[in-house]
Amino acid sequence: MANLLEVRDLSKRFTSPGGPFKKARSMHAVNGVSFDLPKGRVIGVVGESGCGKSTLARLILRLIEPSGGAVLFEGEDLLAKPPAQMRALRADMQMVFQDPYSAIDPRYTVARAVIEPFEVQGRKPEASVDEEVATLLEMVGLNPGLASSFPHQISGGQKQRVGIARALALRPSLLVLDEPTASLDVSVQAQIIGLLETLRDELGLTYLFISHDLSLVKYFCDEILVMYLGRVVEALPDTDAPARHPYTKTLMDSTFEPDPKKRRLIAPLEGEVPSPFDLPPGCAFAERCPHATDICRTDTPALAANGGHAVACHHPI
Amino acid sequence: MLQVRDLGVAFGPIQPLSGVSFSIERGETLGIVGESGSGKSLTAMSVMGLLPLQGGRITDGSIAFDGMELTTLPENAYRKLRGGRIGLITQNPMTSLDPLKKIGIQVDAVAILHLNMTAKQARSRTVEILGTLRIPEPALICDRYPHQMSGGMKQRIVIAMALAADPDVLIADEPTTALDVTVQAQIIRLLDDLVKERDLALVLITHDMSVVAQTCDKVVVMYAGRAIEHGPVEAIFDAPQHPYTQALIGCIPRGLDGDTKLEGIPGTVPTVQNYPDGCPFHPRCTRAQDICSTTDPAFVVHEQSAAACHFAGAA
Repeated sequence: MANLLEVRDLSKRFTSPGGPFKKARSMHAVNGVSFDLPKGRVIGVVGESGCGKSTLARLILRLIEPSGGAVLFEGEDLLAKPPAQMRALRADMQMVFQDPYSAIDPRYTVARAVIEPFEVQGRKPEASVDEEVATLLEMVGLNPGLASSFPHQISGGQKQRVGIARALALRPSLLVLDEPTASLDVSVQAQIIGLLETLRDELGLTYLFISHDLSLVKYFCDEILVMYLGRVVEALPDTDAPARHPYTKTLMDSTFEPDPKKRRLIAPLEGEVPSPFDLPPGCAFAERCPHATDICRTDTPALAANGGHAVACHHPI
Repeated sequence: MLQVRDLGVAFGPIQPLSGVSFSIERGETLGIVGESGSGKSLTAMSVMGLLPLQGGRITDGSIAFDGMELTTLPENAYRKLRGGRIGLITQNPMTSLDPLKKIGIQVDAVAILHLNMTAKQARSRTVEILGTLRIPEPALICDRYPHQMSGGMKQRIVIAMALAADPDVLIADEPTTALDVTVQAQIIRLLDDLVKERDLALVLITHDMSVVAQTCDKVVVMYAGRAIEHGPVEAIFDAPQHPYTQALIGCIPRGLDGDTKLEGIPGTVPTVQNYPDGCPFHPRCTRAQDICSTTDPAFVVHEQSAAACHFAGAA
């Protein structure tokens, strides 16, 4: 299967300038991330807040400029493209955002919001605007009668459907889904996930799915990248693969099962994700890791593959 | 310890809550679960006697705490209970703490107010409680400000404040929703230990069925301002009787048996102005008949649990 997207050693460093009363600080929001996304696959990126998963999504679409690395979309290096070409390419790669409330202009009607991508690209839909709006709304399971509604008149789940319709307007091949259900109720989350599955099958879409919810990622995705403080610490080739990185193990153990008969005494990991500013050398997880030894505090482990299952750990489980 | 019977709440002409009943004993954890707008938090506010602050009032039913009727309790007596024998943990620890005061002073105040302790006694009690909550270096933490602490640590401080007056009942309103999963596991474990060690009655309000499955003894499922099913946690998960409970359990993604496709529940939770007549769930229910849109279903008892549905039973 051809790779739709190849990400090579992608990095983003944010720096805050120093001043008379504060030191200059820098953080590696995304640090040396590489992966391949074959056509038609769904890769999930999972991690806790601050691990760089949303930054990664934005870097791939070049919504923010990377500090280093490469993003190849259908073999073309996106980072070498001048802005006009980049904009044209984005028609083929779209994003669905976490918060449908802020992703849609409150003064736009649903129809205008859904058709806006055509305006941005200076294109006209093949059918008439009204027909195109109706097609797109039906595609995401909305009544075309909603076309003249404003965002405040529709529910959160409907708004997220509008967000998806907008992303689909230009018939992209890649959708980057940044926590598309995090602000929705579970019953609506399940609707949206069901819709995304149907769309993938019908339109042959490829997804990069960003989420903090491991059970959702396990349900929805083919492969899983686990991020911790800007790095991919483990790449699970399938959703049943056992965790080899202690952090992935912790994440799996912290995820509750919805079954009272499967109660287990979780031994929660102590501590929390440390500040990403000015990280000490070595493995970022060493401070919280029960298996950490001296080498973990001096050498950063590389992501080493072992038959498709890559893990960045000196002492994998 | 705490018994709520047929509770109804109104804000002016709007009735966002009606017919909510549950009871809880010491050493028990009761889960109140539902989607947003189902009335979970309103139930907590009613028990805490905080409705008048928001312009609401209790119109029906009773709330009995240790033999005391709370719905008719005068405000000055309520003040002694609130934060004293009944503790509250809110969703967002950032809003429960005063950003301008040191942690220690905020926790001390509870024991000074409710247990008539001196400042010195209160401080040693604070340090002790922070220690039992596994907060490292509790004596030093007392001199910190909230902004110097992480989200999980702040939530522990809020729990410490709730514990400082030695409560009998603890109401935790979405205590882990704002936290990361690894921190959520820590806090849930901590609450679980507290129930056992201190013989507390814990009312855990959450939207997360997985949290309920892992921690609660009993469950109340709420929908559109009503309790629609209640029972022991095993019964609710093994043999849910109400179609909403069944659908809600079906909405949880399970990584391991990924063959069953998530369908979701069609439609959305009605807003309080649009509560339907009859059973509040009937517009979204696959089993709805004519009677569902006209007549309020009564609770049908099935073994240890009960569901408010005309067609209660396993699907």
